[in-house]
Amino acid sequence: MAHARRLHAALGVFAALAILGHMGCMTPKTTTHRSGLMEYLYPARKDAPIPNPAGAQLQLPLRLGLAFVPSGGGGWRAADAIPAGTERPLLDIVKGAFKDKTWVSEIKVIPSTYLMPGGGFRNLDQVSRMYGVDVIALVSVDQIQYTDPKWYSFAYLSVVGAYVLPGEKNDTRTLIDAAIFHIPSRTFLLRAPGQSIVKGSSTPISLEARLREDAGKGLDLAMRELAKNMAVEVESFKTDVATGGRKDVDVVDQKGQSLRATGGRNFGGAFGGAEVLAGLALVAAAALRRRRS
Amino acid sequence: MNRWVLAAGACSEPWRLWTCHAVHFGLWNALLNLGALAVPFVLAPARLRGRMALVLLLVAPVLSLAILASLEGGAYRGASGLACSAWAMAGIALAWDRATRWEGVGLLALLAVKILAETYGKAIMPGGAGWVSLPAAHRWGAALGALAFPLLRVGRTVRATPR
Repeated sequence: MAHARRLHAALGVFAALAILGHMGCMTPKTTTHRSGLMEYLYPARKDAPIPNPAGAQLQLPLRLGLAFVPSGGGGWRAADAIPAGTERPLLDIVKGAFKDKTWVSEIKVIPSTYLMPGGGFRNLDQVSRMYGVDVIALVSVDQIQYTDPKWYSFAYLSVVGAYVLPGEKNDTRTLIDAAIFHIPSRTFLLRAPGQSIVKGSSTPISLEARLREDAGKGLDLAMRELAKNMAVEVESFKTDVATGGRKDVDVVDQKGQSLRATGGRNFGGAFGGAEVLAGLALVAAAALRRRRS
Repeated sequence: MNRWVLAAGACSEPWRLWTCHAVHFGLWNALLNLGALAVPFVLAPARLRGRMALVLLLVAPVLSLAILASLEGGAYRGASGLACSAWAMAGIALAWDRATRWEGVGLLALLAVKILAETYGKAIMPGGAGWVSLPAAHRWGAALGALAFPLLRVGRTVRATPR
């Protein structure tokens, strides 16, 4: 009798633990992945480098570097924010947006392993020399994943429900920000954002795998939006420089002409000397032909 | 400046739709464009020259409005867009006539090379101090010249050039 009572008590404790365990699945959860630009560039707030007062002179075509800002939480990788192996495909999306631009000669994708957390401009100087780039786009990520139990998540108590019922509502919000700097002059040039929201649901058993999948999808969508926004921001930046809105920056084209001096607004229709000569040669040939016939 | 503001400006001072083609960035720019404009007039049969000049007068304001869309707040000077119209118009007219077909084809080929080179090889675009060439002006010029070609034939049959 006493033995049966102890058995019932043990079963009761086990059931209570199981219910508590499942209750854990039924509480909202938030997962954050973050890499901060400010922590990377200016780790010591009082010691932030002052931009060169002479400003930046960008010589076209540009040699552009692309890199993810490393996470501040120790280690050399941005592993917290970007899953291993997806860094390059993600940066290739932005690279694709610039590949046809005549003002960019080469774009280098720089692995975040070469960027130290809190490395600042000294670290960027090293990377700049190593990769031969003078302008770098630093991409920082802020991703938050919310998991909320749906009303029928109490069915997890049946154990089987935890395997078959998608009672977890997942919401992945991603904000990506790319800031472009001229490394030699420490000058900030422009920034562009990209964001995405991925919604889904999963069983508690497949929750982690689903969150990883949503995180990857969210990053991909946000990078695509970033690439589009970046193209718009570059045009706006060029206009700002041309109209004198950015007095700290000048752009010198392949012919040595300053965008600030030309204003980027003086357009002319012109025939080159060679083109006119070719036209005159055609006139001469036609005259000869007509004379003979 | 907004392009629609520019368009409104052009409407308040409509003569600018013609005169912008006559204003240049310098003597050399003007001479080269004048030379380019002369080529189709020399090649074209004498009976078409007057009508070509008249059609170019009609093309000029349309071309100016088309160029406005490509300026992004800038200013435009130069007759090369109009010259491209003349090259396209005269090229088609010459190619239409069997006796002058090769001259027309040659003129159109040179125009095509210019436009393709400017579109795909921007480093070789002509330009000068304080201004940059606008390839869109040449593309619009050539397209409008080709579209205006039927006006050369209105009311007359183009006969073969007498040998």
